[in-house]
Amino acid sequence: MKIVTIALNTFSSFLRDKLIILFGILFACVVLLMMTSLLGMKALNSGANAHQMQSYVLSFVAAIMSLVSGCGSLLAAWAAADTVASEMKSGTILAVMARPVHRWEFLAGKFLGVMLLMAVYVAMMFALSYLLAWMGGETIQASPWVLLVYPLVRYAIYGAMAMLLVTVIHPVLAFAAVMAISVAANVVDPAQHYSNMFWTWVRNVLYVVLPSTALLSEEKFLVITHATLKKTSWIEHLTVIAYGLDYALVCLLLAMWSFHSRTLKRD
Amino acid sequence: MATPAIEFLAVTKTYRKPLGGQLIPALSDVSFSVLPGEVCAFLGPNGAGKTTSISILMGFLRADSGEIRVLDFAPGDVRAKQHIGFLPENFAFYKYLTASKLMKFHAALAGVKAPVADRLVPELLNQVKLSGYEKLKIAKYSCGMVQRLGIAQALLGDPQLLILDEPTSGLDPAGRKDVRDLILSLKRAGKTIFLSSHILSEVEQICDRVVIVDRGRLLRTGTVDELLTAGDRVEVLTNLLPETLEPNLAEWGAIFERDAHGVRISIPVAYKRQLAETLWAEGSDVISITPVRSSLEDLFLKVVGGGQPS
Repeated sequence: MKIVTIALNTFSSFLRDKLIILFGILFACVVLLMMTSLLGMKALNSGANAHQMQSYVLSFVAAIMSLVSGCGSLLAAWAAADTVASEMKSGTILAVMARPVHRWEFLAGKFLGVMLLMAVYVAMMFALSYLLAWMGGETIQASPWVLLVYPLVRYAIYGAMAMLLVTVIHPVLAFAAVMAISVAANVVDPAQHYSNMFWTWVRNVLYVVLPSTALLSEEKFLVITHATLKKTSWIEHLTVIAYGLDYALVCLLLAMWSFHSRTLKRD
Repeated sequence: MATPAIEFLAVTKTYRKPLGGQLIPALSDVSFSVLPGEVCAFLGPNGAGKTTSISILMGFLRADSGEIRVLDFAPGDVRAKQHIGFLPENFAFYKYLTASKLMKFHAALAGVKAPVADRLVPELLNQVKLSGYEKLKIAKYSCGMVQRLGIAQALLGDPQLLILDEPTSGLDPAGRKDVRDLILSLKRAGKTIFLSSHILSEVEQICDRVVIVDRGRLLRTGTVDELLTAGDRVEVLTNLLPETLEPNLAEWGAIFERDAHGVRISIPVAYKRQLAETLWAEGSDVISITPVRSSLEDLFLKVVGGGQPS
């Protein structure tokens, strides 16, 4: 119950956060701009055959969603880093932690608050992807739950990583580190071979340590058409989701452990 | 003897500047205890180690060595925090909340059920004279109103121990009197109160025990009576003071005052016997000799060497 109370208060603070409001406004502007582009593309390609058109529209939707999804990663990392740091900066954490609340409960509440925000964001993303496909006269073939769960799990990883880092470093550094990690994780490609054994070793280690968020990309499901519809088994889905949740959980547990011995004071 | 509500035993804390820099001692071997039902003032000038001590008591900070017990639990233990009300220095709040919502948020964290909180919150806000401002966002409150709200939130959950860091900070004289009266009523209700304040005259009126620290070291601790009556002057009441004795009195650093009952002579303890014998020899009666009770401010200035309390 205490975790839920902290989560709801955290979510409530996000809705009043100037940076997040600005982010929302920019998001709306980008969406409107993309809608215009989509309609323009549809008008220009009105003579193309149905298969080509379907492919164009779905690729375009996937590209837009890739951008929106990337912004979601930034939002998740920033929200998680800032929510803990701002409590320390303002000193509100002192009155909260004077209550019979365990430190892990505080952090779990904060994380849940971030996930509530990201759930709203994912719901908006989901609605947007269907809206764009509908405007393009196409339908998305992927199961709706994939478009909801995959990004949410991916954001859970970014949020948990940011929360872990912010227990030891400044929120801006934590945010930057999460972004650097996510880029590095995408760059580390296990299929690529290096002649140098050292780089092969480094790459393998990084591949194991860094989160493979590319596995949790819902974009691959957005571009699937009737013709290329690939059946992904439940086992595959569950394995990928379990991997993501496990990674997020490990980061969150490490964050709780680190936060347990942290000095609480007004920064 | 009852188990102390707060026990600080040989507590030491040293801060280290970042990147393995200089060591700054914050507390050195500080020991004191506060019994249940007592009101204890924690005094010291700026940088004395008061906030560090309170942070250690609340479990926000870990001591390097020493033993600390709060309500017979380790600091920060949730079982102890269930019975603690805490007002941090410069109480910080969620600006977007109203007083009522903030109180309900804290009530939920304190484990107070929603129906109880619905009844309790208006009562507490009324107690700190914030009735009528429940729906106003806290961001629009004055400093004094925020401080009152901080006190109200500290009282949530009927705490057994109240730790108040500068409870009268930001309050006007009427507000300070209200807080003083509130503390006295809590004392009558058997609550233990540990407070830091820089208004020594007020502290003297409401406290049973005083702990004075400076530069991380304990300077004095004891009950107010013990500390204030252990002064270095006595007051001698005599029926008659011959004029021939007046130069001697000036030499001994005495201050005298004639009234309807006789002459009151305040003199350093060292000259007590000499004065009494001289008065008797001159044919005067010594009606009484009583230790002069110094004020807390005098004591404070004496032990910290003129440093300003905060």
